[in-house]
Amino acid sequence: MIEPHPLRVVLAKVGLDGHDRGIKIVARALRDAGMQVIYAGLWLTPEAVVRTVAEEDADWLGLSLLSGAHMTLVPRVLQLLREAGLEHVGVIVGGIIPENDIPKLLEMGVARVFGPGTPLPEIVSFLREHSGASHA
Amino acid sequence: MLKTLLERFHRRDRLALARLVSMVARGERVEEILAGVGEPASGAASAPRGPARVIAFTGSGGVGKSTLIGKLIEQVRAEGQSVAVLACDPQSPLSGGALLGDRFRMPVRPDDEGVFIRSLAAAGGHGALAEHLADLIRLLEAFGFDVVLIETVGAGQGDTEVRELVDVLVLLLQPETGDDLQWEKAGLLEVADVIALHKADLPGAERIEAQVRATLALGVSAGLSAASPVAVLRISSRSGEGIKELWQILAARPLRRGRRTSGRDLLRLAQQMLAARFAVAEAAGQSELQQLLAAWQQGEIASTQAALALVNLLISAPFQQV
Repeated sequence: MIEPHPLRVVLAKVGLDGHDRGIKIVARALRDAGMQVIYAGLWLTPEAVVRTVAEEDADWLGLSLLSGAHMTLVPRVLQLLREAGLEHVGVIVGGIIPENDIPKLLEMGVARVFGPGTPLPEIVSFLREHSGASHA
Repeated sequence: MLKTLLERFHRRDRLALARLVSMVARGERVEEILAGVGEPASGAASAPRGPARVIAFTGSGGVGKSTLIGKLIEQVRAEGQSVAVLACDPQSPLSGGALLGDRFRMPVRPDDEGVFIRSLAAAGGHGALAEHLADLIRLLEAFGFDVVLIETVGAGQGDTEVRELVDVLVLLLQPETGDDLQWEKAGLLEVADVIALHKADLPGAERIEAQVRATLALGVSAGLSAASPVAVLRISSRSGEGIKELWQILAARPLRRGRRTSGRDLLRLAQQMLAARFAVAEAAGQSELQQLLAAWQQGEIASTQAALALVNLLISAPFQQV
């Protein structure tokens, strides 16, 4: 008897990276697709991001990195999510990610990496298709 | 499933709290949840607590509600009290989507368990409140938070419904928010318990303070608001001016909520219970309900008569299990 409810997506930038144009565009697209977007902001630590995901009861976490520190910060976030009992939360990554690193990130547990130029509907439909049946 | 969640809630599991907040915010099994959190199992870690101090912040968009709440979190934590924040942002009436961006301005130490911040999407037409706000407050109170801070969407004029749900309502104003005729309009100034003139480091703060005080004085001279004087003070989150004083005022106000004085509180509870029963019966396709609705839709009975029949149906025995 659980009715479908909107997806809750936390979007965040971790580490020393002030480029937030892309993540704001993604935030708008997901909002317009009927999702509840929690914009957690810039310069966050992995700990702060995971705390936000926990308190917001998010279905998805979107991380944006243009700093080159993704091979350090993303695994740290994934590890903290597991330690917090949040392994059910899907993680997507966007930003400047060299092609060689994408398979490594996927292996670690990232659901998908969206690079520059990704059509916004592609992100929306990916989240919809890979969420449980209880979501609108 | 719900039983496990409630057990975890009583062990003070924050993920369970977060999930229960989601369910209550969606109106899912609210009565069961509130009944469950109210009665901790024997040997549970959560001890019965006193009522929380519930403070709401309203004011137009951009006046600094989130930033001020961020500052007050520091203040409350410095006194060793725990605090939960419900931050409401608007939901699109078109897509149902929302961009919730308040917690960005409320930095918290990542390992501080004494703080819980939750963003809520507020649909239109509810006095700028997220639905089920009263139930969410009860949930956070049961978890043991000493203070609950509520950020409204900040619709501005007429956003007064929140007053009935909280202990203290703070109205935020800032310099250059209009001339003194604005304050004569019915609405916000009438219902605020505390008026905080934010961004007092900007030019024009003295003038707005003078305008607000003059407007309030008109009410006093007419004998209207003498019962509980409204506190007015200038504050600045940037410079820190007045933040401590504001918290002292908020902490000293008598708790208004839950004093069982207003019959409207009881009426609201009754309305919620009827609505919950209706939702369940409708989803289950309950036959008597369907017959009544069909008769009404086809014009066989008048609307007022059908409404009375509906109330009688919802309070009848088969519906009490809901």
